[in-house]
Amino acid sequence: MTLVAVSLCLIVLAGMAGGLSRQPAAGEMLFRVLLGAGCVTGAVPAVEVLAGGTVAELRFVAAPFGAWVFGLDALSAVFLLAILIVGAACAFYGLAYLAPERGHRAVAAAHLLLTLLITALALTVVARAAVPFLIAWEVMAVVAYLLVVFEHERPEVRRAGLIYLVATHVGTLLLLAFFATWAGATGDLSFAALAAHPPFSDARSGIILALALVAFGLKAGAVPFHIWLPEAHGAAPVHVSALMSGVVIKMGVYGLMRTVLMFGAPPAWWGWLVLAIGAGSGVLGVVWALAQHDIKRLLAFHSVENIGIILLGIGAGALGLAYGHPVVAVLGFAGAALHTLNHAVFKSLLFLSAGSVTHATGTRDIDRMGGLARRMPATAAAFLVGAAAIVGLPPLNGFVSEWVIYQALLRGGSARGAMQLAVLTAVPLSLMGALALACFAKVVGVIYLGTPRDEGAAAARESGRGMILPPVGLAALCVAIGLLPVAVVPPALRVGGLVAGSGAEPEVSAVTATVFALALAASLLGAWLWHRVYTGRRRPLEAVTWGCGFATPTPRMAYTASSFAAPLLATFGSFAGTRADHTASSFATHAFDPVLDRVMIPMWRGVSAAASRLRPIQRGGLSRYLLYIATAVIAVLLYLLAAGRGP
Amino acid sequence: MTQESLVALALLAVVAPALPGIVVKTKSLLTGRRGPPVLQLYSDLWKLVRKGTVYSRTTTWVFRAGPLVALVSLLVAALFLPLDGRSAPATFAGDVIAFAGLLALGRFALVLAGMDTGSSFEGMGASREVTIASFAEPTLFLCFIALVLATGDLTLSGMLGTPLAAAWPRSGATLCLVGTSLFVLLLAENCRVPVDDPATHLELTMIHEVIVLDHSGPDLALILYGSALKLALFGVLVVSIFSPRAELSGPVAVAVLFAGLGVVAVLVGVVESVTARLRLTRVPQLLVGAGALALFGIILELR
Repeated sequence: MTLVAVSLCLIVLAGMAGGLSRQPAAGEMLFRVLLGAGCVTGAVPAVEVLAGGTVAELRFVAAPFGAWVFGLDALSAVFLLAILIVGAACAFYGLAYLAPERGHRAVAAAHLLLTLLITALALTVVARAAVPFLIAWEVMAVVAYLLVVFEHERPEVRRAGLIYLVATHVGTLLLLAFFATWAGATGDLSFAALAAHPPFSDARSGIILALALVAFGLKAGAVPFHIWLPEAHGAAPVHVSALMSGVVIKMGVYGLMRTVLMFGAPPAWWGWLVLAIGAGSGVLGVVWALAQHDIKRLLAFHSVENIGIILLGIGAGALGLAYGHPVVAVLGFAGAALHTLNHAVFKSLLFLSAGSVTHATGTRDIDRMGGLARRMPATAAAFLVGAAAIVGLPPLNGFVSEWVIYQALLRGGSARGAMQLAVLTAVPLSLMGALALACFAKVVGVIYLGTPRDEGAAAARESGRGMILPPVGLAALCVAIGLLPVAVVPPALRVGGLVAGSGAEPEVSAVTATVFALALAASLLGAWLWHRVYTGRRRPLEAVTWGCGFATPTPRMAYTASSFAAPLLATFGSFAGTRADHTASSFATHAFDPVLDRVMIPMWRGVSAAASRLRPIQRGGLSRYLLYIATAVIAVLLYLLAAGRGP
Repeated sequence: MTQESLVALALLAVVAPALPGIVVKTKSLLTGRRGPPVLQLYSDLWKLVRKGTVYSRTTTWVFRAGPLVALVSLLVAALFLPLDGRSAPATFAGDVIAFAGLLALGRFALVLAGMDTGSSFEGMGASREVTIASFAEPTLFLCFIALVLATGDLTLSGMLGTPLAAAWPRSGATLCLVGTSLFVLLLAENCRVPVDDPATHLELTMIHEVIVLDHSGPDLALILYGSALKLALFGVLVVSIFSPRAELSGPVAVAVLFAGLGVVAVLVGVVESVTARLRLTRVPQLLVGAGALALFGIILELR
């Protein structure tokens, strides 16, 4: 734990150095060095724990509400690793990304806030008592809000910030209720004390688990609690979106897994509910993503989808515990943990590459891009790796974690009893994979391939080294994890075993899977080299794209993102959240969020209208208000007298 | 891994281009024409391999990698199939997911290669291909789930190998349903009538053929060979379900497999002769219907 503490101090110091130094160049250098050192220092104990080691806990006894304990087990370690990897990549990227803004905005403050966010995230996952956990949670929420409204002069950014702030505070409020219900009358709020609590009545455990699902589901952005997510991710500066999508929303996943770890086997209905929310989030998330033209909102909806995939793993794990199938439980939680790490890596990679593209073209609308693979080859290659990884294609990291989750679901099918039905959720999981393939074929094809559709895209230039290296490094990590399942699956199974509280060791043949991944990569590479030699010898000719006899194709003739997605969206009908506007000479499609725009906002309008009916009692007269206060006090006294607890 | 399965794999790679020939020949005979020779595709491939290549100025390395990735992923996927009816050359727990992932990888590569040309025709084909695949993939998984439940095995080698033979007496009905569902998938994934018509010559009406409009020479040869191989892979899935061959001796099992592949090709030809192409908006209904068959199979296996 000492190393983790040192690491967090270094990260905060880095933020101060970057923010407070008089000379920007020296400050940035110091920022890089301190942050890099901090992240490496923190990663050492995390890797050690994941490899099977243990780390001593840190206890502060003289603290309110029981001892404040900080510890690092395998579950914390996998999240800490994700935070440090993604945090470092986003912070380094942010230096280059915000550099042009220096002098216009509070760039130094943004760097400092980013390091504070990384620190708060890390403290959230190592806290072992409710009070430090809640403090870290709240700091994380508020700092993230300040970063989201970085460009606060734009009204849509302020709207997104407000929605985010309301959603996150609803979550915090529910978390207070969650810990209060769990702890009851005892004053000790450390996690060890909560876990040692005697078994609850069905009603109380139901309330605890339902509160956990809503509070952590709000942070994770699972449907129908996702309403804040696309707004905030769309509004924030891109390296902040990357950090939020990569790790901030994962705190919800962490909370759910920590809850299961402390609670023990949850009742079966909870497992089914998590599975259903997972399937719903996954399918709806990717359908809504298909409808988007704004690259950042599109990626944000893919986070909703991937949270769905992670929840499928948690749901399978919970059902495995409830029905007594430890192997399924371990595999489910292991798959969820591994997919969390993988999604953190490839989603931040995708956000950062998308940031480079929007920076270079000056637009976020993918229909105005095109042909960027020729102009920005390194960014395009990194994005392509991330796209193939998020779709779950072998031999990349997304495939490895989906393979583990599929195994949990399929093995649940081989079990006897009600558990068998869980196998059917493999079908929505495969639908998510196929739709994600469609969506990323659209994104890669429309942004990077073909011809530029706009002057901005035609004039785009590759970004500088500071904005290329972080995504390329993350892409290399995607490839490395994908090629070496044997290095990541056993630690993931350790996390799964810890959460499931079981020593079951499922046979997953990670070694054979590694051989498969390496063989596939080697054959692809061999085929590519052969092709280079073969066609190189024959001097290929160059010509214009075949246009069925039309000799001068224009960029306007290329397929757009909306046309590409239209057949699929048509099949999903009113779930898809698209609206078409046409007049005699124009046609445009718009994407909206059905839950936010069709349910939540009308509901809030209704609440606000109902509240306006109460206006007559609020006339502004002091005597009237004194009367209200007196009435209220008398009513409370009468109630206390009647309840026999009077003074 | 047996010697027969490796020999059978090599044979499959050699024989695959004959299957589209059998389909076309059946179709021609049934419609009263003579049709091209069964081995026509071999001549076409030989001709294309010797030709030069033309690349569009719009394209990048993605276009050149497309056919290669598509073919390599299919060849690797073939390693997971138990061609001798017992065990596959390569197998690991959950390799069904790798099989589906490899098919998706090949599709992703071809679709991106098509988008790389910047042509609206290829964009249209790409859009249709991913739309149909979005409905085909859940159906494929429903079939796999039914097989997992029937055989209790998580590998393709087991689902189509020895445990399958043991499962026939108790889950015959399920396996028939799954086999039928897989045959519909074969038609959809290989762009056959009633989903797509490989014989059409109008770019606007095509799906698979239109994505590869700009490929030429050896690249086109790779794609044509890949399509034939994909037909063969799906044919192996269908034949393996209907003919559990674990009891037969190795060479006989392999011979039965290839005879079965011939029968499947003839069946495809018959379907192409007697049905018309469906409207594009009807295709999802066909695939969901095939998925429902597999779902019934799953329900029969729940206990």
